[in-house]
Amino acid sequence: MRWFRRLYGSNPLHLLVTIACFAIAGYAANKLRAGDVKGILVWLAAAVIGHDLILFPLYAIADRSVMAVFRRRPPRLPAVPWINYLRVPVVFSAILLMIWWPLIFRLPTDFTAKTDLSLSPYLGRWLAVTGGLFLLSALAYAVRLAVSGGRRRSPSRGEPASSLMSAGRDYSGR
Amino acid sequence: MTTKTRLPAPPGPFRESFWRSPVRGPWLTSVLGLLLLAGIPVMFVTGLLSYAAYNPDLALVNDETPDKGLLGFYLFSWPTHPVWLYRLNQGTHVTLGLMLVPIVLFKLWSVLPKLFEWPPVRSLAHLLERVTLAAVVGGIIFELVTGILNIQTYYKFPGNFYPLHLYGAWVFFAGFVAHAAIKMPALVRSLRGHSMIDVLRTNLKDTRPEPLDAGGLVALRPGPPTISRRGVLAFAGGASALVGLLSVGQSLGGPFRKTALLAPHGQELAGANPDFQVNMTARDAGVMAAQTTADTWRLTLLTEHVTPAAGPVAGTDTVKSVTTLTRADLLRMEQHTVSLPIACVEGWSTDNQTWTGVRLSDLARLAGVPQPLSMLTRSLQRGGAFSRAVMSVEQVMAADSLLALRVNGADLTLDHGYPARVIVPDCPGVHNTKWVASLTFRR
Repeated sequence: MRWFRRLYGSNPLHLLVTIACFAIAGYAANKLRAGDVKGILVWLAAAVIGHDLILFPLYAIADRSVMAVFRRRPPRLPAVPWINYLRVPVVFSAILLMIWWPLIFRLPTDFTAKTDLSLSPYLGRWLAVTGGLFLLSALAYAVRLAVSGGRRRSPSRGEPASSLMSAGRDYSGR
Repeated sequence: MTTKTRLPAPPGPFRESFWRSPVRGPWLTSVLGLLLLAGIPVMFVTGLLSYAAYNPDLALVNDETPDKGLLGFYLFSWPTHPVWLYRLNQGTHVTLGLMLVPIVLFKLWSVLPKLFEWPPVRSLAHLLERVTLAAVVGGIIFELVTGILNIQTYYKFPGNFYPLHLYGAWVFFAGFVAHAAIKMPALVRSLRGHSMIDVLRTNLKDTRPEPLDAGGLVALRPGPPTISRRGVLAFAGGASALVGLLSVGQSLGGPFRKTALLAPHGQELAGANPDFQVNMTARDAGVMAAQTTADTWRLTLLTEHVTPAAGPVAGTDTVKSVTTLTRADLLRMEQHTVSLPIACVEGWSTDNQTWTGVRLSDLARLAGVPQPLSMLTRSLQRGGAFSRAVMSVEQVMAADSLLALRVNGADLTLDHGYPARVIVPDCPGVHNTKWVASLTFRR
């Protein structure tokens, strides 16, 4: 048993599970060979890296930039942490856009012919939902400020440097 | 084995010190993983049921993936009761799928450092595991994207939706099961390590990193927290709830349809079809009003002799035309009224509508085949994958199965299938064939 672990790197069950996985996945993937193989491979590759190498750097840089900009501004930022009141409506709105962009940008050309429904409401609805989210967030922050404002009024000693959405503070390698 | 010389990690994300989030760690990943562990099997099962609902084994015209082989092993004859079954199944599959998008994104964020592990391959086991991860990550995104584009009728994926989504699901699910099995001990360990109650009680100020783990998720040099762990969970859960709330109304119907602000069928219909939603208008199907008048339209009843093993017997003389009926003839037959929804594979559905027409079983008897093996419906519509559909004997014989002539007290509108359409309980919308031209009862 020990020799197996040393050679393979895990227990035999691990090997059995991965082989079973490859057998089933391979069987199913083989069925896809009848179709547009190149297109499918491109899609799969994009799906594998889509979040980690494209989306993540974008949102991490955006998150860091916002924090950096506000840190450099003349201070008098409220002491109550504000970043999540910005993150939440931005991310909620972005996820809705990420799901519904074809409808929002009126891209499915057959939609009206098929469904007898109009494509025009979706952009307005998304914008309205986005506006509502920001409004709610602003209200929540105002309440939060009012509650804590009674206690203490002091300028920010700067934002915490790292954040949920930007895991790395030091892209420069500092 | 020879001793390997460890190459130092290249700078940037390959160095553990790059990752700074103080909330990232095995506990948070395990909670998000647990949510997916609950949601993904529901997606898989409702997806397979959705495929079974087409009765693909009954006839080639029903099967969008005839080369499925072993992947159709579980197929069974689709039931006709309870009548909301298909509606519930599709609504769950689509709404839950949409709601999992934020959870998947948060889960991917939570394990990001793993992509940049150094060394990239530690052992054969590690290599194989990373390959399964490609199936998991690529597979879930592929399934979500193809599904989400399909419900918006934005057919930009590389090929026919059905094989892509079905075979893609098997590739993904194989990887998912392996990943869940391999990670289960770690998941149980980390969930046991911290109490959920404690996490829910901990605010931002008191949020601390998890103890350093072997998996490399916990930051070596964590920055100060900007969000608590309960904040992350509320963030992910809130995004999921928002997506669900803005789309579930298209499946609930009634007054809730208005709440589906961002969903393809979240609008009330105006104009020609004010009652309920359609997904293929007559214009789209190439059906002209001139084809459906009292002078032009006839329903042809046919019989076909098949040997169960070999399908239709060779030669056209096995198909016999029994009779043709006008719409007036049909209206003179015994009329039945049933209350059934229209539910689409794309997840939207309508409330129960009141359909009136002739029982399919009465038409079978009229054709001289009181117990058909199956029934083939042909539509007037021009070509297309769903201009024909085959129903099982259970579906034909069900008391609620009609050739409907009227709906909600009025004649069908052209877009709803005038002069006559099939309506069978629990049948996918596309199989409830509109503009019926002929019914062939097979014996």
